[in-house]
Amino acid sequence: MQTGTIIRAGFLAIILSILVMVSWEIHLRNQGNKIYYDDNEAMWAHYRGMVYEPSDKSTVFLGSSRIKFDLDIPTWQNITGNHVIQLANVGSDPVPYLMDLADDKKFKGTLVVDVTEGLFFSDFSPEDVATDKKINYFKKITPTQRFSFRVNHVLESQFVFLDQDRYSINSMMDELPLAHRPGIKPEPDFPDDFGVVDFNRQSYMTPRFVADTSLQNRVKAIWVCLGRVMAAPTSSAGKLDSFFNVIKVATDKIKSRGGHVLFLRTPSSGPMLENEKKGYPRAKYWDRLLAVTGCPGIYYADYPTLSNFVCPEWSHLKPEDAKIYTKELIKILQKDKGWTFSKKSNSI
Amino acid sequence: MLFNSYTFIVFFIIVLILHNLPFSWKTKKINLLIASYVFYAAWNPPFILLLWLSTVVDFFVGRALYAQENKHKKKLLLVISLIGNLGMLCFFKYGGFLLENFTFLVNALGFNFHPAKPNIILPAGISFYTFTTLCYTIDMYKKKSKPVESMLNFSLFVTFFPHLVAGPIVRPPQLVPQFESPRKANTQQLFQGLFLLTLGLFMKVFLADGMLSGPANNSFAATTALQSIDAWMGVLAFSGQIFFDFAGYSLCAIGAALCLGFVLPNNFLYPYAAVGFTDFWRRWHITLSSWLRDYLYIPLGGNRAGKYRTYFNLMITMLLGGLWHGAKWTFVAWGALHGLYLCIEKAVRDIRKSSGVKTLITAPERKVVMASFTPEINHPKNLKNFILALGTFFLVNVTWVFFRSTDFSSAWRMLHSMFINNPKNTAVLTSLEIYKVGIIIPLLVITHWLMRNTQALTVAGKMPWWLLGLVWSAMIILILLSQNASSAFIYFQF
Repeated sequence: MQTGTIIRAGFLAIILSILVMVSWEIHLRNQGNKIYYDDNEAMWAHYRGMVYEPSDKSTVFLGSSRIKFDLDIPTWQNITGNHVIQLANVGSDPVPYLMDLADDKKFKGTLVVDVTEGLFFSDFSPEDVATDKKINYFKKITPTQRFSFRVNHVLESQFVFLDQDRYSINSMMDELPLAHRPGIKPEPDFPDDFGVVDFNRQSYMTPRFVADTSLQNRVKAIWVCLGRVMAAPTSSAGKLDSFFNVIKVATDKIKSRGGHVLFLRTPSSGPMLENEKKGYPRAKYWDRLLAVTGCPGIYYADYPTLSNFVCPEWSHLKPEDAKIYTKELIKILQKDKGWTFSKKSNSI
Repeated sequence: MLFNSYTFIVFFIIVLILHNLPFSWKTKKINLLIASYVFYAAWNPPFILLLWLSTVVDFFVGRALYAQENKHKKKLLLVISLIGNLGMLCFFKYGGFLLENFTFLVNALGFNFHPAKPNIILPAGISFYTFTTLCYTIDMYKKKSKPVESMLNFSLFVTFFPHLVAGPIVRPPQLVPQFESPRKANTQQLFQGLFLLTLGLFMKVFLADGMLSGPANNSFAATTALQSIDAWMGVLAFSGQIFFDFAGYSLCAIGAALCLGFVLPNNFLYPYAAVGFTDFWRRWHITLSSWLRDYLYIPLGGNRAGKYRTYFNLMITMLLGGLWHGAKWTFVAWGALHGLYLCIEKAVRDIRKSSGVKTLITAPERKVVMASFTPEINHPKNLKNFILALGTFFLVNVTWVFFRSTDFSSAWRMLHSMFINNPKNTAVLTSLEIYKVGIIIPLLVITHWLMRNTQALTVAGKMPWWLLGLVWSAMIILILLSQNASSAFIYFQF
């Protein structure tokens, strides 16, 4: 190799790479894109590691996407002075995560479990805990993964293009207009503006999504396609009995260590709500859940202040409503459920 | 620590700075040793104790082996070293497998024996550093080279972070002399090292993880028979994934070492351009195949004890080579297939030779690294050999089915799907995934063919600097745009 060739090429490569990436970053920012975070295993594990904080200083939230959208974490933390540890996961059954916390003898905290019936009451197998990617990542996390997460956080906080869900090469290639093969069900193509994620793991709709009914209709169509609207429970009576028993054992374990568990049903609307009511009659599912476990619960429809929200795409609250919902939820927790927080909630 | 992680970037910058500060050579070596332990401990700190144990035992046993004249005592020392090294490997890597098979056997004989499943964590890189230390003690036993005088040099030889976890498997004469005198990369070497690091990361992050792991995983995760195109694309994707993953790791290791002024042996030489399996094993995981040749095949007798014994030796070597990759019968089957291919190739060559037919051997080209079990054969780049290379690639793909499948029923199902098309079978790959595999794999094979007698740095050196800069920059940009969460290299599990 000629002396100097690779050195000159190296410098050219560095300059070109910086130029291209800076141009790409400026272009994305000019389009109105903001800093969002990848809600991946590393981030979940980061928060999972915080569940050992004293129970009067923090509250752990489990569930599916609804609690990620509906709980406005800054509002909660400002009012209560209490740290939110958001462990809910989009489109997932929270039961394996409940089992994981129940089996963790060090966990003695306060837990709120969001119940989206179609996911919470789906078939559960103990293997789901052992095979869950996020739980396994947390259990096997290495020092290098912890350090990489911290460096990644610093970089993700600076650059818009480091948003894997939107601007990674694979995400961009997925947008190519290619014909679908017969027999291949395409992945649901949620609008980018539907669920962006902050570093506290809160999901929210962008102002563009809130203003644009065509984007909302696109999500509604996905719910219909996914069968969430039409879904009916498949569990037999026997299966349901053993399911409730699994939940009872898990909540009893947490309570026996001094922990607290509260179940929460967040709002939904439109055809989604109608089908949830039909598919999962409250007496058979929600009421029985509270009766079997002996845990308190908050069902949004029981409280006038929580029951008037309209979800733009039938399933999740818009950011402004999430703030109101969170304030009202805190009031109910204090007045109705006897919760106390370190910070006086005068600001409510 | 993974090369494709932010932690490594920070770590490597610190190591490079420390290595270029005006410290004494001994201090620099101590820095490198500490850095190597940090690199290893970043996975699972307690396993560093195993590494220390292996280093200390083999250092002293090696010296004693070299000095010992009494044959019996010498053999005893060798046995101690073998038991220490292989015992550790057997416990951590094969403990569960041995118990599982023992349980199966005992139950088949009518005994009711159901032990608890052992929960043994495999220390990262144990197969690699065990082979590194083993070759040292065997060399000492045979007095092939002199014992390493300094504990610091020996520890660094075993632990040097670029090769520690997934090779290249180095021999003492390749690395130890490099620790004896001060070494620092000049600017040219530093940039060459950075180029190889970039190329390795591009292969791992963009090609293996970004483009090919998806289709490979989707096809091999199927629990029902697939349409032929899905099966073939899945297997081809895995062929590409495992090459880019492992060769990418090796290039990162070689590049990182070069940035510090050290030279590690090459581990891959465009294996998918191999003409036959002898050639394949001269190009795929060269340091392992040469290790197996020198420390297993030749001690077994190699090809010196007759035709049938040669076949037997080839099969044993490849079966154990398969088992080295993992404690599963599917890996043994993978090794067996390679052994069979090598035996058939040897038989054909012997028949042609005895019947006076002109063999494929032609005028020798520039020598590549020797690593195969049989003498080197050079193949000119012509259409006939290209077709033979494609045939070899086809057969290699069949072996990957066993390597990648979780069990034999999945492997048979995949093979059945590949060779018998049924449009009613399941389709799992999207159009995009098929395009990715359909574009990348032919390009991979063509690139291997065009570059089969050269090396990346040689080609880079012949390019105009601006073109090399453009290519280099494109690789950096694609790595940055891939944004794959740091996923482990496939060979870490071995």
